[in-house]
Amino acid sequence: MRGAWLVLKKELLELSKDRKTVFFTFALPLILYPLIFGVMGKMAMRDNAQRKSKPSKVCITDPGSALTPFLQADPKKFQIVPTPEGNLTKALRDKVVDLAIDVPATANEDLKAQKTLTVTATQNSAEDDSELALKRLKDLLKDKDKTWVDARLKALNASPDLATPSRVEVKNAADLALELGKGLGIWIPYILLIGMFTGVMNHGASMTAGERERGTLMSLLSTRIPRPQIAAGKLLALFVLGLVSALANVVGTAIGFNTLAGDIAKASAASGTQGSASILQMASPATLGLTLLLLIPVAMMMVAFILAVGIRARTQREAGTALMPGMFVIILLGVFSMAPGIEKMAVVPYLPIINASVAIREMFGQQFNAVHYALAFGINSLLAIGLTAMAAKTLNREDVLFKS
Amino acid sequence: MIQLRDVHKSFDVRDRKTRKKKRVDAVQGISLDVKPGEIYGLLGPNGAGKTTTLRMIAGLMKPDAGVIEVCGLDTRTKGEEVRGKLAYLATDMQVYERFTPREQLRIFGEMQGVDPATAERRGLHLLDRLGLSDFVDVKMTSFSTGQKQKVNIARALLHDPKAVIFDEPTTGLDVLTAKTVLDLLQVMKQEGRAVIVCTHAMPMAEDVCDRVGIIFDGKLHGDAAPKELLRSRNARSLDEVFFQLAAESETASA
Repeated sequence: MRGAWLVLKKELLELSKDRKTVFFTFALPLILYPLIFGVMGKMAMRDNAQRKSKPSKVCITDPGSALTPFLQADPKKFQIVPTPEGNLTKALRDKVVDLAIDVPATANEDLKAQKTLTVTATQNSAEDDSELALKRLKDLLKDKDKTWVDARLKALNASPDLATPSRVEVKNAADLALELGKGLGIWIPYILLIGMFTGVMNHGASMTAGERERGTLMSLLSTRIPRPQIAAGKLLALFVLGLVSALANVVGTAIGFNTLAGDIAKASAASGTQGSASILQMASPATLGLTLLLLIPVAMMMVAFILAVGIRARTQREAGTALMPGMFVIILLGVFSMAPGIEKMAVVPYLPIINASVAIREMFGQQFNAVHYALAFGINSLLAIGLTAMAAKTLNREDVLFKS
Repeated sequence: MIQLRDVHKSFDVRDRKTRKKKRVDAVQGISLDVKPGEIYGLLGPNGAGKTTTLRMIAGLMKPDAGVIEVCGLDTRTKGEEVRGKLAYLATDMQVYERFTPREQLRIFGEMQGVDPATAERRGLHLLDRLGLSDFVDVKMTSFSTGQKQKVNIARALLHDPKAVIFDEPTTGLDVLTAKTVLDLLQVMKQEGRAVIVCTHAMPMAEDVCDRVGIIFDGKLHGDAAPKELLRSRNARSLDEVFFQLAAESETASA
């Protein structure tokens, strides 16, 4: 296999001379994903903090002043504004008000008569500010309800527990790390698949049709290296690039997620709920190792496909066009593997590539399933062997190699 | 050194209009023999079957019938070994532009089974002979056609081949560079290598080649020394012989 090694060396050396490609394929994901996740997290947190620090703009029609004093008593949460003239829906959509409250004139009498007080709230569910205003109103009424119910029960000489026949106390077995790990597990296969395919697609086209177009393929074929070894060298080069590209994408995503998790953990700690989370808590070294192992046959399948399609094209551009449907298939598989509940479908462990996505997802969700993992590895390995043989055979065909 | 015995090769080609496949006989029963220290000129119009013949000699394509031997090795079964003893330079071969000549020569030397240091020494010697020694560490993106062709020639000869096939070695080259290449052919002849040169330049073939063969429609005509061929055809130049054969070929196909 010395010939294959020499071809691999040639391909990697040639690639290393193209600094722009190296940067865009391998370095950019390491910068881009942390930047995206970091900025996203920071912006979301800042927006949330800003929203919570502002009172909600509420207009209220309350002829009996049954609710208005309670709203006025909490100026940090509610700012009473005059009822807008004209169309209320438009005022809500234009964010002139966040919530419009309508309290019946008989509210005080209804409460005294121990009837149910019905308050009408008009909101704009498309706006976060309006949602927050509604939540604040509900929280306020929930507090008041308790006071009113206690008062009613006291008037009847009944225990306050009468109104609470049962209660559920929730203890969460998951921690923040597990929840974020599950989230990461949904994203990781998608990013891996796309990252691997995009990382090698252009190089694959360049190593096959590109070499033919540039007139270097014939130089390579005229050496004493046997064609199967030339094919093997090119496959190996693409395989290495695919894995490195996928790893760059995963590391970038992991760093981004880590930043995001840190922000969420800080926010959670501030609200006194859950503890910290880091990428190491989300994915153990075993998870990362098994993920990498599972990627090997998937990457081999991809590079064999790219090589077989690329060598049939006359030009690099033609190869790029021919490989584009493959890209759409990968996106489709990636999106499909992110779908909720997909792991429950009985057929999924037998579907190539998707089974690997699901197995990775399970591992990141700390639900490792050995059967699913073995099936994914076995089925994808068999297909990878078949596709590699097909690619090597294609690269040995005179009608393909000497296509003019 | 290079022997072809009744070699045949045909291809399936698809008619663009009818989309139907048809069989084209590219090479039909070619036999020739090139001895050590001989330059053989393979002439013929475009599409006559020259390149296919050369690719078969280089072990890149397999003949459908017949036998090709280079240094006693059958190209059909010993393709890799044949390429280890043969230099093949074709018009559709280019250099890896991102490399410097030194890098390219080292890599191809290794691919031809020569250790990197020897490959570099031989390659640099060849580049020096071709007048390119000042550019060995310059990226080839900025090279002219002639400079690239010189690197290609050095790449092809790195492994000290016994047989040499040059397809249109002077195409696109200026007069001076072309002369350097032709001089190199004479040196290779003196070194006892068997050389096949494929060209459209008839005067060059007359001057350089010991024998010439003209391919028309996949068949070899007039395998003889240029002067002998002129005498037998009662022609003043190889161009004239070429026109006569073209006319005969047209009549025969009509």
